[in-house]
Amino acid sequence: MPKSEQGAVRRALSRFALPAAALAVAALLVTFPIWSTPWESSRYATGILRDMLILAILALSLDLLVGSAGMPSLGHAAYFGAGAYAAAIAGQRLGNDDLLLGLGAAILVSALLALVIGTVAVRAAGIFFLMLTLAFAQMVFAIAFQAADITGGSNGLVVFLLVLLLAWRLRSSAYGRALVGLRENERRMRALGYDTTRLKLSAFVVAGAIAGVGGALQAYSIRFVSPNDVGVARSVEAFVSVLIGGVSTLLGPVVGAVVVLFIERVMPSYIAFSETVLGLVFIVFVLAARRGIVGLVRESYARVRA
Amino acid sequence: MTPETAVVQALNGISFGALLFILAAGLSLIFGMMDVVNLAHGAFYMLGAYITLTVVQRTGQFWLALVLAPLLIGALGLVIEPLLLRRLRGRHLDQVLLTIGVSLVIADLVGLTWGREIRSIPFPAGLDHAITILGGDYPVYRLFVIAFGGLLAVVLAVVHRRTRVGALIRAGVDDAPMLAALGVDIDRLFATTFAVGAALAGLAGVIAAPVFGIYPGMDVDYLIYSLVVVVVGGLGTLSGAVAGSALIGPADTFGKVLVPQFALALIFAVMALVLLLRPTGLLGRIRIAR
Repeated sequence: MPKSEQGAVRRALSRFALPAAALAVAALLVTFPIWSTPWESSRYATGILRDMLILAILALSLDLLVGSAGMPSLGHAAYFGAGAYAAAIAGQRLGNDDLLLGLGAAILVSALLALVIGTVAVRAAGIFFLMLTLAFAQMVFAIAFQAADITGGSNGLVVFLLVLLLAWRLRSSAYGRALVGLRENERRMRALGYDTTRLKLSAFVVAGAIAGVGGALQAYSIRFVSPNDVGVARSVEAFVSVLIGGVSTLLGPVVGAVVVLFIERVMPSYIAFSETVLGLVFIVFVLAARRGIVGLVRESYARVRA
Repeated sequence: MTPETAVVQALNGISFGALLFILAAGLSLIFGMMDVVNLAHGAFYMLGAYITLTVVQRTGQFWLALVLAPLLIGALGLVIEPLLLRRLRGRHLDQVLLTIGVSLVIADLVGLTWGREIRSIPFPAGLDHAITILGGDYPVYRLFVIAFGGLLAVVLAVVHRRTRVGALIRAGVDDAPMLAALGVDIDRLFATTFAVGAALAGLAGVIAAPVFGIYPGMDVDYLIYSLVVVVVGGLGTLSGAVAGSALIGPADTFGKVLVPQFALALIFAVMALVLLLRPTGLLGRIRIAR
């Protein structure tokens, strides 16, 4: 094969290898409840997989803030929880458990909440932004003291794939690039004529709305919403997912969500101190591998090719 | 609300504020010097309360815990700063993220060691009675908390203004790199600052243990309280910690009495309002919001 052709094949491979692998994994996941039935703990594993998808949606929406716009929100569960409650309560009150209705209610309420909190929070940057988002999320948690349950079911995977597609499209859009500009040099963006405060607020609202979608899925698939879905622990889970998986890498938050829930849900069957492990893993990544798992894989892949 | 309950609740509010001051002073000190918001502050506080539980159960000596717990937690801070934070010096956000990991580890180890249920200890001997205020009984221990917080504020203020250590702290808060250039051992200064801040959190945990509860999740609750206090009062200054706790302690206490379901919402409303009107917090020098 001539050299140029070899290059073309390689390019084609690298261009399609990742989407193809993602599709294959997705196909395996969709059919998981079917092909895993002979397996004794099929239902348990299906539950964990479903929770991974839900956390992945939350993490993907958070990465829009943390990764793209450089806004480290430590209170992202507030919008997730608001979405979960909105979906559950809308379902209860209207006596209608249509997923689309729940999703609509969730997006609306989460976006509104993000708009209110964001109005104050985006005025702060960096560490202060992190403090404010954390504190305001705790306020939402305090109000969401009552639990709600709901009947109904959903196909989380379809929604997850839609969110992934949306995150991918957002990254390559003009809007997504403006957010990256915000992260890289806010002052210059302002000089270029962008209203950076409004841009940040809009990112906050979009991320909040997508988190709400995750919350609605949680409400529909677990059929129960509790204040824990709004709490700091959930926010930290999402944040750790984004960082371990890889900030601003598209698939990073998904990989991170899988790793985090593996540590939190599978490991406790074997060891008692799984949260400690999670904390230590997180510390190691912050100290030594700030680009996360996906970043590490990409780096080593690039090294192998070179 | 009758005048009697108003007075009692005011005292409750002030004693809670005094506790919040001890907690927030440590957080503010670390931030002022190192530009790091220590998100493990609540975990140090929790550790202080649980160490007190063990000391009181084993020896019955609350006062021993008051000395021992801050020392142990200060020593822990003395290990964590050089081992972890120093590697990321200058990367403030990453340092903050690191403290999330530290907090996860400590909270989990506390749960494994002491169990995950609500615990309590009696008031220490000598402070376990009540006095009569306006015809009602009021626990002396809460008055002790007020006195202790007030005394600590005075001591810290004197150290801050009149001693060599205080001069170093003030200089470090102003311009740490310049201080390093002048030949001060900044590594030692930062490690000590982090240790003292951690010890203050532990001390707050000890003081809180007999009256404000020992329970899983207290780390997060009190981390949030201390964040709110320093945001409201102003980051990095001692007077800011005083002002913030003097406002938030009573606001939270009265909120819990008047609008039980929305007490936390109330203090966050206060925080949002302060930030909108004074972006530096009441007495701070650093702009938190634009």
